[in-house]
Amino acid sequence: MDARLRRVNKEIADCKKDRTSNISLELIDNSPFHLRGSFPGPEDTPYQGGHFEVDIIIPDSYPFQPVKMKFLTKVYHPNVSSASGAICLDILKDAWSPVLTLKSTLISLQSLLCSPEPNDPQDAEVAKHYTTSKGSFEETARYWTHIYAGGPGAKDPKGSKNIRDEVAIAGLENAHVDQFEGLGFPRNKVIDVLRRLNYRGANVAQISEDRVVEELLKS
Amino acid sequence: MSSDYEISDNEGDYYDSDEMMEDYQNDDQDEDDMEMDDYNDDFRINTGPKRKSYEVDYTSLSQSSVEESLKEDVDHICGILGVDPAVAALLLRHQGWNKESLIEKYMETPTKVLVDSGAAVPEPAREPIVRAHSVDRSAAGPSSRRAIRSNSKLLSSLTLPTRSSAQKSISSPAASASKFRKDAKSSEEPESFVCPICFDDSPELKPVALDCGHSACSGCWNAYTISKIRDEGEHCIRCMTEGCAIVAPDDFVHNILVSDAAPPGSDTNENLVAWTRFQELLVRSFVSSNSKLKFCPYPGCTNTVSCPSATSKSVLTTMVPIVSCGAKGIPRSANDKKPAPSSPSGITSLYDKEHVFCFGCPIESDHRPVVCGVARLWLKKCEDDSETANWIKSNTKECSKCQSTIEKNGGCNHMTCKKCKYEFCWVCMGPWSEHGTAWYSCNRYDEKGGIEARDAQSRSRASLERYLHYYNRWANHEQSAKLSVELYAKTEKKMEDMQITSDLTWIEVQFMKKAVEEVEKCRMTLKWTYAMAYYLARGNEKDLFEDNQRDLEKAVEDLSELLESPIETENIPVLRQKVTDKTVYVQKRNEIVLEDTATGFLDGRWKWNVSVDGFEDPAEEVRID
Repeated sequence: MDARLRRVNKEIADCKKDRTSNISLELIDNSPFHLRGSFPGPEDTPYQGGHFEVDIIIPDSYPFQPVKMKFLTKVYHPNVSSASGAICLDILKDAWSPVLTLKSTLISLQSLLCSPEPNDPQDAEVAKHYTTSKGSFEETARYWTHIYAGGPGAKDPKGSKNIRDEVAIAGLENAHVDQFEGLGFPRNKVIDVLRRLNYRGANVAQISEDRVVEELLKS
Repeated sequence: MSSDYEISDNEGDYYDSDEMMEDYQNDDQDEDDMEMDDYNDDFRINTGPKRKSYEVDYTSLSQSSVEESLKEDVDHICGILGVDPAVAALLLRHQGWNKESLIEKYMETPTKVLVDSGAAVPEPAREPIVRAHSVDRSAAGPSSRRAIRSNSKLLSSLTLPTRSSAQKSISSPAASASKFRKDAKSSEEPESFVCPICFDDSPELKPVALDCGHSACSGCWNAYTISKIRDEGEHCIRCMTEGCAIVAPDDFVHNILVSDAAPPGSDTNENLVAWTRFQELLVRSFVSSNSKLKFCPYPGCTNTVSCPSATSKSVLTTMVPIVSCGAKGIPRSANDKKPAPSSPSGITSLYDKEHVFCFGCPIESDHRPVVCGVARLWLKKCEDDSETANWIKSNTKECSKCQSTIEKNGGCNHMTCKKCKYEFCWVCMGPWSEHGTAWYSCNRYDEKGGIEARDAQSRSRASLERYLHYYNRWANHEQSAKLSVELYAKTEKKMEDMQITSDLTWIEVQFMKKAVEEVEKCRMTLKWTYAMAYYLARGNEKDLFEDNQRDLEKAVEDLSELLESPIETENIPVLRQKVTDKTVYVQKRNEIVLEDTATGFLDGRWKWNVSVDGFEDPAEEVRID
C-alpha cells in the first residue's frame, strides 16, 4: 500500500481512538487527503468554549513536506489571517518534521491560540491591536469566538444581542465610532478607517481627529 | 595567488641547488621549468607570458577539482582537530567553510561547536524513541551517554545489513548504537519495529538512524532525503525527528541514495539524480562562502572560477575582472552537461558562446572597459529610463517656468501648467500674456519671451538628449553585434560551399569567422565605452577617451562593411587580404582602448560626473545638471 495513504489512515484511526485530546478529524469529499480537523478552544483564553475547524490538505510528498492547514472558523489572533484563515506557524513551514502528525499539528495550533506571537504576525492589524491594548484585543477575540466559533456570550452585555455588532467585531469603542459617524460619515466606513488606524487604547490620544477625518475623506 | 607563490618559491630553492651543481645547464633548465609551470596549471585559460593590463589572472575549476579542494579543507581540519572526516565536513559547513574561525571556536568549546553543527547529540541526551508514537516527548530519559561520538562509525554499523534475522534488526539502532544504551533499553524493547513515519511494520523493514538513534525505515529516509535535496535544494539533511538537530553526514546520504543500503523499491535513477544534486549543492555552498571563488552563472554549467585578485571591493575601482569558466554553449538539458573545459570540444559555432562573465558583479557578460560600479549604474539607468525617455522626448515639453513635464491633451495651444499655473503658448513656449488678444501671434520667431522660454526648456531637454545620444549608440552596437553574427551564419554556409567547389582549403576560408568574432568582440567594447563616456567628467581625459573610441568605431564599421561585401570565387584572395588586414587593425585598436582605460583605472585617471561607489565624489562644476 502507498506509504502516504497508510500513514494518513493510521493517523485518522489513531485520532478516532484517542478520546482525551478532544481532537477530531473527518473526511471532506471522501478523500483521505482532504480533511477537516477540529478542536476546542484552549481554556483560560479568549477562545475558551469555541469550536475551531481547520481545513487540512495532505500534499503528495507528505509526510516529508508539511501539511497545508488553514482555519475555516474565523479567529481573531495575531498569527491567523482574519480574512483568509491562513496560519503563520513555524512547524507548518520550515520547522516541519516528518514525525509530526495531524494530531500533533492540531495540538500545536491549539497551543498557538494560547500563546500568540505578535512579533511574527500573519495579520498585522490584529497584531497591532494586541500590542497596543491587550485587554481590548482579548475582548474582541472573545466576541469572535462567541459569534463565529459558537463560544459563550462575551462579558459585555452587547454580546447577547442577536445581530452582530460590527463595532465589537472590529475591536473598537462604540463612542469613537459614534463620534465620527456624527460628523456625517457612513458607519461602516468609520469602522473600516478606525480599524485600519488602530484607533484603540493609548493610540487614541496619539491619532488626531484631523488625521481620521483625512483618512475618511480619502477612501 | 598564494599557490602560485608557493610554486615559485620551490622553484627558487631548486635553482639554487642546481646552480651550484651544473651551472652550464642553467639556461635549458630555466626553459623546461617554465613549461612545467604551464602544465601544472592546466586549467588556466589566460596563459601567455605577458598578461595585458586589462586582463586578470584567474583559474577555471571543474566541479571535481572544487570537490578536491573541499576535501583538502576537510582533511586539514581532520588533522588539526582530530575528528573524523564526516564530522569535519559538518563542522566546516556549519562555519561557512571558515577554517580559522572553526578552529578558534572548536578550541574554546568543542562540545558546543559539535552540537551546533549537528555532529553530536547534546549532553543530556534524550532517550531515543523507537516506538511508533514518537511525538510523545515525555520519554526523555535520564540516560547520560557521551555526547561526542563519531557519526560515521555508527552509521556503518547501522546502514549495512549486518544482522540476518529480522527480529535482531529491530533492536539494531539501539543495540549497535552504543553499549551504554543497550542495557537501559533492553527492558522496554518493542516487539517489532514500526517505522514512526510510514507506520509500516513488515519484518523486512530495515531501521536506519543517525547518531541520535531516532530510527525510521530506509524507505522513509530515502524519500525524505530526496524531498529535501530536490524540492528544497538543501544539503543539510537533519534527523526527521522534531527538535533533533543531528545532520546526516555525506556518507549517510550516499548510502541511503546510491549504495546497498538504498531501499530496494526506490527509483534508481531518481536516487542518482538526487545524489548528483547533493554533491552539486555541497560544492555550491563551498563556492559561495569563499570570496575567491565564483560559480559560473551560465545555465547548466557546473564550473567554478577562482580569481583571488578580485576579491576585495576596493580593487573593483581599478580593474574589471572579466573571467571565463572555459566552457562553451548552453546544454539543452541538465542531463547532457558539457565536458570539463580541459577537453577541447573541436569546432564550435559562433552560437556556442564562451561562458564569459564578470567576477566582481552580477553582469553576465564582458563589460570592459568600464568598471563594475559604473556599468551597474548605467544598466540601472537604462532599465528605468530608456523607454520613458524616448516617449517623453516625442510627446512632451517642459513648462518653461517650473520645468514640470507636460503632455498636451487638447487642440488648444493656450497651456496652463497644472503645477505652477503658468500660462504659456505650446508652439513658442513664451508666456501667453504676450500673445495678447490675437490667437497665434507667435508666428514671429524672435519674440523675446519665447526665446528665453525655449532656452530654459532646451537646457532641461539637453540632459535627456545627452542620455539618448549615448543610449542609442549603446543599443545600436548591441544590435549590430547580433546582426553580424546572424549574417555570418549565412556567409559560413556560402564559404563551405565554396570550399567544395573551388580549390580553397578549409583554413583559407576561416578568415571570415575570425573577422566576425573580432567585430562582435569590439562591438561589445564599443557598447560599454558609451556607458563609460556618459558618466565621464568633461575634460582632456574624456576627449582622449573619445578619440580612441572613435578610431575603434571607425575601424569596426569599415570591417563590418567589408564582411557584407558580396563573395565571389575570383575575388576571394583580395577580400581575404583586406579582411585579414582590417581584422588585425581592429584588434589592435580594441586593445588600445582596453589597455588605455585599464591603465587609466590603475592610475586613477578617470573622473566621473556622478558619484560612484569607491570613487571620489565629483567636483560640483563637472556634475550634469
